[in-house]
Amino acid sequence: MSFLALVQDTITKDNVMGTPHDGGNFVTELLAKIRPEWLPEWMFILTAVGIAVGFIVAMVSVIAMWSVWMERKVSGHIQCRYGPMYAGGWHGWAQTLADGVKLLLKEDMIPKGADRALFWLAPAIVLAGIFGALAAMPLSYDWYFARMDLGVFTILALGSTTTIGVVMAGWASNSKWSLYGAMREAAQVVAYEIPLGVSLLCPLMTLGTFSLLDASREQATLFGWDCGMGWAVFTNPFNMAAFVIFWIAALAETKRAPFDLPEAESELVAGFLTEYSGIRWSFFFMEEYAAMFLMSVVGAVFFFGGFETPLTALMRAADLEGGVLYNLVCFGTLVLKAFAGVFLMMWLRWTLPRVRIDQVMTMGYKYLTPLALLCVLLTAVWEYVRYLVVG
Amino acid sequence: MEFQAIVDRLRALNAPGIVEVDEPRAPDKETKDKGRSGRPFVMIEPASLVDILHLCRDDERLQMEVLIDITASDPAVDDANLWILVELLSVKHRHRLALKALLPKANPVLPSATAIYRAAQWHERECAEMYGVTFEGHPDPRNILLPDDWVGHPMRKDYEFPTEYHGISCE
Amino acid sequence: MTDLKQQHTPSIQPSSEEERILPSGEREFFFDVSTSDLEINMGPQHPATHGVMRVLLRTDGELVTGAQPHLGYLHRCAEKIGENVEWLQYLPYTDRYDYLSAMNNNLGYSLAVESLMPELEIPRRATLIRTICAELNRIASALIAYGTYGLDIGAFTPFFYAFREREWIQALFEKICGARLTYSFIRIGGVFNDAPPGWLKEVGMFCDVFEEKWREYYDLLVENHLFVMRTKDIGIISEEMAYDFGLTGPMLRGSGVDFDLRRDMPYMDYKEIWDAGVYQIPLGRGEKGTTGDCWDRFYVRVQEMMESIKIVRYCLEVIEAGPVIGDVPKVIKVPPGEGYVGIENPRGELGHYVHSDGGKIAVRCRVRAPSFVNLAVLEDLMPGTLLADSVAIIGSTDIVVGETDR
Repeated sequence: MSFLALVQDTITKDNVMGTPHDGGNFVTELLAKIRPEWLPEWMFILTAVGIAVGFIVAMVSVIAMWSVWMERKVSGHIQCRYGPMYAGGWHGWAQTLADGVKLLLKEDMIPKGADRALFWLAPAIVLAGIFGALAAMPLSYDWYFARMDLGVFTILALGSTTTIGVVMAGWASNSKWSLYGAMREAAQVVAYEIPLGVSLLCPLMTLGTFSLLDASREQATLFGWDCGMGWAVFTNPFNMAAFVIFWIAALAETKRAPFDLPEAESELVAGFLTEYSGIRWSFFFMEEYAAMFLMSVVGAVFFFGGFETPLTALMRAADLEGGVLYNLVCFGTLVLKAFAGVFLMMWLRWTLPRVRIDQVMTMGYKYLTPLALLCVLLTAVWEYVRYLVVG
Repeated sequence: MEFQAIVDRLRALNAPGIVEVDEPRAPDKETKDKGRSGRPFVMIEPASLVDILHLCRDDERLQMEVLIDITASDPAVDDANLWILVELLSVKHRHRLALKALLPKANPVLPSATAIYRAAQWHERECAEMYGVTFEGHPDPRNILLPDDWVGHPMRKDYEFPTEYHGISCE
Repeated sequence: MTDLKQQHTPSIQPSSEEERILPSGEREFFFDVSTSDLEINMGPQHPATHGVMRVLLRTDGELVTGAQPHLGYLHRCAEKIGENVEWLQYLPYTDRYDYLSAMNNNLGYSLAVESLMPELEIPRRATLIRTICAELNRIASALIAYGTYGLDIGAFTPFFYAFREREWIQALFEKICGARLTYSFIRIGGVFNDAPPGWLKEVGMFCDVFEEKWREYYDLLVENHLFVMRTKDIGIISEEMAYDFGLTGPMLRGSGVDFDLRRDMPYMDYKEIWDAGVYQIPLGRGEKGTTGDCWDRFYVRVQEMMESIKIVRYCLEVIEAGPVIGDVPKVIKVPPGEGYVGIENPRGELGHYVHSDGGKIAVRCRVRAPSFVNLAVLEDLMPGTLLADSVAIIGSTDIVVGETDR
């Protein structure tokens, strides 16, 4: 969907949804300046798409590499050890690179009796889902691949297609443990999609938009003052509760502990990953870290102000809006906020024991879903009262 | 209870099959008896093992709730008997009792104690595969530590080590 | 349980596979909608079986409907070896069955052999060093039980914390006997050598640090809400069941039975230490759920670490200089006799039945391994639980596969 939007965006040079913003993503804008006269339209579009796709792929890889290194360091320090220290020199920064090379060079094994086509396809589907979802993520106010009014909708929709890949992997592996992992993943994702989506409705109501860019801009003003601190969690108390629900559901969606039941290494050996090795195995991990990052981005954008901090507000006041520096600061702000979320996920993972499948289901259906609905109701009341009072 | 008191109690209950009491004794130079150290045993008839176990468990003054061990011993190649050794423990009264039964190697059949103590299940399986004792009435008489197709009873003193197993040479 | 196939009846009976022709001429199929049960091998290469043990599971979805442990993958003929090597030469083999508490195994074997040698006197210093080593090893073993149980439940970090302190214990053992895992330090007649200078002081330092760290462990896992949710009311062993299966050690005490061989059938100097009022016997009381559940057994193990620290402290107070080994010849000849000595190993009663005919080699050297006996209870506990619970149950029995198979 987002790729379509990307292409369409490039063709029409206008927004897909026809919002008043001037359209096109920053890749086309950049390319348009150096476009030779003789280049036909379709070639130009293909080039732009190719570059954008390459950018997203590179982004996923970098996020995954950095997150894996971070996970190792964080878990190491939580567990009274250092983690990687040697590869590359400074605190083992190149450890993930070395691992990546190792994984690339490993023998590509497909177990006997496995469904070869599905086994081959599963990591591809998993990765495609997360690439598509990442395309909807804006890098800053002026840098984005696709300006979509339904940005968060796209992210949730495409993000959950990875489940299909996971179930496929579990089924194709011809291993009972893998099958268990796949079934758990399916049950878990179905249970937690609901609270995830419903809890996101609260900030959506507060901010009044599905677009990530608009949502971020909306949170700049606190009591009519453009200070960059009008974050959704500050303007409406029920958003904080909604965030807790969102966060728990996001953990379950991304298969992170304490909801890592599909992998559950002490119960299911490695769950759906049992039969995978080498680069295919690492694709699943790239997906996991990219999904963690993406969920943190969604959390940061809709609850914690997105690009907004007092710094961005100051830069706006200094009339730097639209410049490269301003966009860089926006980008850095979002990445920092997102990685704070990733860190929180890691912290939780290395502290808590795993929950049981029935407890996962109970929590999802019996507690989180009703609570999320209650949050939506209370947020609506709050917003209505605020509308009556403030106008 | 001390050992003697336990034996007296067993005798008072008319426990079946008690042969004698095997107690440690000091060495005697005159009779060239080397003596025996260690702990005392109650020697019993193998056929009455189950009855005695029943008695030991259910009598209130003995009350041996826990079966610690059932094992066998092959004292020598030319000995005609296997020894069956049973160790009982009373958690309530804090005493132990060891039973010993001589089981002829020619016909090593013993009633199973699994109906009285479920702990006996695995001990008996191990004893059966290692010594070739047949426990009559055992619900699951498979090998436990050895592979299912293992030939012979390795803990017997006359056991001959195999020279190969499934084509793998052991020499 | 005799046969898994006989015992279990599927939850949904398969319908007949015949087809029939409807009056309209259409063919109607009776689809076989039965959900057949899945037979699945947990092990021998499975992270939760703590070694090379295999449990054959029969599952209906996540529900375990049958379980059958298969042992023997680590069988190393320890008892047969005992009949073929000299008394002292067998000592290193005792290290190998419960490799997490090798000191206690050495102790059990030594005590059994010593029970056949009435003339042999064990010096008091040797007894106290034995007690210190055995209790330190009990702590090390309980730390592994603590850490790996955390792993089974899905918490990684407690494992590393536990290993941090265990590392110190191993360093202490390395200082006193040169080995870190298989010590062969407690010998027939005493201990191999005296403690090096400053060793006892360092043990005291360890006790001080450990008391602080223990609190950390307790908060991190034992009282953790998620952990309690996972382990309470799971794998309940009633008192009668514990007796029936011959359980001993923390498995028995977890079911609320107040029985500890160190107090109730004292060996070495444990009677003196008990009379001095140094330690207590922690019991499972069903604080979080039902008495005898997984949490209770785990709780008993964690509490026992502190009791062991108290015993070590007492020994450090009363220890005096003196010889550390009795009058034992290089080649030991044990007088004829038969003896059985059971000691309180970290996993239960470790019994050695030794039979000597007066020679240099044992006639019979039987090991009553606590893990072997405790494991039998799995067959009864696992059916009817979820897959994740069955992992929790295996973990709570705290087996060492080296010992079940010997």
